[in-house]
Amino acid sequence: MRAGNPLNDAPDGILAARAADGDTRAFEALMNRHGSLMRVYAAKILGSTAEADDVVQDVFIQAWRQLDRLADPTAVRSWLMRMVGNRSIERIRRRKDLVNIDDWDAPVASHETPERIVEIRLQMGELAAVVAGLPAGQRQCWVLRELGGISYADIAEELDVPISTVRGQLARARRRIIQEMEAWR
Amino acid sequence: MTPEPPGPLESEPERLLDGLDPEDLDGHTIEELGDYLDDGREPRDPGIEDSPGCQIALDALVRLRAESWAMLEVEALADRDRDQSWIQNVIANISRESRPGRDIPVRHPDPATRLHITEGAVRGLVRAAGDGTQGSLVGRVELAGDVTVPAQPITVTVTASVPFGPNLVVLAQLVRERIVEALRTHTELNVIAVNVAIENVHAPGTAKDGR
Repeated sequence: MRAGNPLNDAPDGILAARAADGDTRAFEALMNRHGSLMRVYAAKILGSTAEADDVVQDVFIQAWRQLDRLADPTAVRSWLMRMVGNRSIERIRRRKDLVNIDDWDAPVASHETPERIVEIRLQMGELAAVVAGLPAGQRQCWVLRELGGISYADIAEELDVPISTVRGQLARARRRIIQEMEAWR
Repeated sequence: MTPEPPGPLESEPERLLDGLDPEDLDGHTIEELGDYLDDGREPRDPGIEDSPGCQIALDALVRLRAESWAMLEVEALADRDRDQSWIQNVIANISRESRPGRDIPVRHPDPATRLHITEGAVRGLVRAAGDGTQGSLVGRVELAGDVTVPAQPITVTVTASVPFGPNLVVLAQLVRERIVEALRTHTELNVIAVNVAIENVHAPGTAKDGR
């Protein structure tokens, strides 16, 4: 399936440099390589795979326009992941206009139903299921910090909440995950 | 009198996490421990390092961190089997936004006719010329100098990734010659130098780790 294109074996830095010069085949190879990771990352922040598809496509279109401004082409993966984080937050903020802030931390805000969580547990393992079961605010803060490596200050700014809220959400998320991962105790 | 093999319970009878409240963590909070970990456990805090409760919680946090990223990669692997037609959607979308760059004039016998090729096309030409030279791949292509004015001196600089094995100097020279030849054949650029910077050496099939 991936045979035939020698670019599939090229290092990220080479692909990003070529794409910045306008080589769509190199860009295609980058999408092939990193698209899936970006999508599952977005899905974890958003709690929705349908929206994750949109985010990843938007990010790649934006990346194509901005690649020539990427100072270090070898860091293209973290650059893309960073954009996925930002785009996903944008969507959450748009949603939040519709949702009462008081509901943010409510367990019912979790996207996944109990049946779905059992299913995830079987398919993906315990950690994924526990993460999917977190309240939305906790899940977002945890994913952005732990998987995206984004600073408290940046998460707070993007989500438009105080830093103390982010810290609190993150601590609660970590606590809850560790408590629920029985095998770790 | 055979000695019993130590079971996991016997070897670690104390390692049970009762809770994550400050009373279980010698007055520290999970939030604090998370920050401490983020700072690389520096400067060393004896109050945390000497507390058994904190140590267990820190172990769990470290493990959580490692497994989180692994979880994402496992899920991404499963995701790869999914329909990848979205990639073609993006390609269709961005193809309308090509990067032509500057216009490079080409002489024509009829003075009323102006011909040019785009800088983007010349870059593509350079890539095509250098690619595949014993498995090499061209990265960035830079044309320094005023390409819009005929006969101006132009320096071409390319980055490249080459396979492990061949002599790098010989290979770079070969890539260089191919590029010079292609530019001479297809353009009227006054190329005074072609620089090849080898940025990467890859083993075929394992070159992805460019980070």
